[in-house]
Amino acid sequence: MTATLSRRNVMLTLGAATMLAVLAPVPAAAQDARAILKSAFDNWRARSSHATVEMVVKRPGATRTMTLESWTEGEDNALVRFTAPARDAGNATLQLGSTTYVFNPKLNQVIKLPASAMTQSWMGSDFSYDDLSRSEKVVDDYTHTLIATKSAGGRKLYVIESIPKRGKPIVWGKQVLTVREDGVLYSVEYFDQLGKRVRVMTSDRISNLGGRPYPVVMTMKSDDKPGQYTRVTTKAAEFDISIPAYLFTRSNLQNPRD
Amino acid sequence: MMKSLKTFTPLAWRNLWRNARRTSITLIVVSVGLWSVLFFNSFMNAWVQSSKDAALDLLLGSGQIHAVGYMDDPNIEALMPPPSAALTAALDDTRITDWTTRIALPGVVVSEYKTLPVTVMGVNPEAEARISSLPGKLVEGRYLDDTDDDGVVLGLHMVERLKTGIGRRVILMSQGIDGAMAERSFDVVGVFDADQATEDFFAFTGLKASQAFLGLDDQIAEIVVVLPDEADVDAEFTRLREAAPDLDARTWKELNLFLASTDSFMGAFIYIWLGVVFSLMAIGIVNTQLMAVFERTQEFGLLRALGMKPRLVLLLVTLESAMLIGAGVLIGAAISALTIWSLQGGIDLSAYALAVEMAQGGNIIYMEYDPGSFVLFSVLIWILGIGVALWPARRASKASPVEAMRYAS
Repeated sequence: MTATLSRRNVMLTLGAATMLAVLAPVPAAAQDARAILKSAFDNWRARSSHATVEMVVKRPGATRTMTLESWTEGEDNALVRFTAPARDAGNATLQLGSTTYVFNPKLNQVIKLPASAMTQSWMGSDFSYDDLSRSEKVVDDYTHTLIATKSAGGRKLYVIESIPKRGKPIVWGKQVLTVREDGVLYSVEYFDQLGKRVRVMTSDRISNLGGRPYPVVMTMKSDDKPGQYTRVTTKAAEFDISIPAYLFTRSNLQNPRD
Repeated sequence: MMKSLKTFTPLAWRNLWRNARRTSITLIVVSVGLWSVLFFNSFMNAWVQSSKDAALDLLLGSGQIHAVGYMDDPNIEALMPPPSAALTAALDDTRITDWTTRIALPGVVVSEYKTLPVTVMGVNPEAEARISSLPGKLVEGRYLDDTDDDGVVLGLHMVERLKTGIGRRVILMSQGIDGAMAERSFDVVGVFDADQATEDFFAFTGLKASQAFLGLDDQIAEIVVVLPDEADVDAEFTRLREAAPDLDARTWKELNLFLASTDSFMGAFIYIWLGVVFSLMAIGIVNTQLMAVFERTQEFGLLRALGMKPRLVLLLVTLESAMLIGAGVLIGAAISALTIWSLQGGIDLSAYALAVEMAQGGNIIYMEYDPGSFVLFSVLIWILGIGVALWPARRASKASPVEAMRYAS
């Protein structure tokens, strides 16, 4: 009797699975998680970009607001230059491939960041230098699984669990990335190796910018520092523009041409 | 002379006990003084020995061999090939207990929460188990299995600061041979509990695993040498230098200057202590003996009047002092021996573990009898004591019958 029942259960389950497979909307099944992520990062950074951004760093007892201008080209080149307030203006960070240079106008010095400094805070914010240069490495260095689809504001969200590939020099236990169906990065959660969430980046407002849907307001928070966050608001942006090659050079980092 | 000594010895002994209280006080002064010198000497030697052993056993060995320039700037450019045939032969000599090779390069360790500086140590676990106390200090997990083991063993305090643990990944970064930053994830397999500086300073992995990580073939950073008897260290290292003239062979004294200077300072310190103690003792001896001599002016006057020569009076009083101080020295040495015997189980300082860590000491201090220093310090104090007692004795020899009569009542 038991045997019969269990066989029937198996039959039922199989049947249900088949039904689901047939009925399920094509994208969820066909779109592989990696492709979703790849398109999200491509959309975020574009082939090239130029943006004006406001960064708010909230700390207990103090809130700093900084303005910066950024240029990116491909996955390798990026330049960020602070323009306000006066105290921070002129500070700049240049990323060329895996190398990061920092320029401080008060020292009038370009410093090549040692790899050990890459995990440190960038300009006192909740972002690290690694976040600037390596966020896209998640696509290749992790194994991705689509674990859920949700919906928010009438749009579908893909929730992707990304686990570092064996042997890759990654400290996180996993990342959970949420991507909206139109390819906008919705949230990124970083977990430690015991499965405890360490920090989370969320897109608080998504709207059209430079002709594409874009996470205009993004917030990074560490779970062990309640009440503190860094919020990045993109004020203006243009994408897929042509950027002169001199921009991503050390000499331009130190002596900007206008 | 011998005859008068024979006469005077019982006389002097009896004279001592004419004022038993005063004699006892002097005895106590001398014996306690000597006790403090002997006890401190033994304690300090044991302390220095224990901290030296602890440091040498941990990682230092009796000495190490590096490439020239490594000690000034330990980096991947300053490595050396494995020991040459000549050096290997010199190292395998029976006069050397054991030796092993290591990688030791500066780097950083990264966890989900923190990035910390560290020295990346590539070791041969089998040899380390023989020559280093560190593998025995594991409190969690396991030590490395072999040179290919790509797990990492971290210090307890380091693990706490990184908020990581056994079975989790950390990333080690260091400059690779190609000049770029090498980075690789390592699983934490073991946690050791040593002093905090060591815990915060080292990350251990297999020698071959570390060479692969840094892009090296078989280059090494150091050769650690352990000798059976530390007294031979200079001679043995001269021999090793001859076997490897182009390398930088240093004894532990040259590698750890703090330890070496502590070692020599403690040797000098006991003489400073001896000086302090003896000054106090001398005041006590001179004081009581002078007192006794003044009280006995009449007696010495009488002896002189009976025809005793001043030289013999001097001899009598010096003999008294020699007996008095000699007895004190014997008692002091006996108490010291007793104290050291009663502490032969070792002085357990683990209650003060943190302070002991700072002083680079071991937790348990084992004191030993050192017959040489017992004899040396006892004789030294005895002779010096007699020396200062010559003053009251000379005073007594100058007593004149006329003066003595004036004091007569």
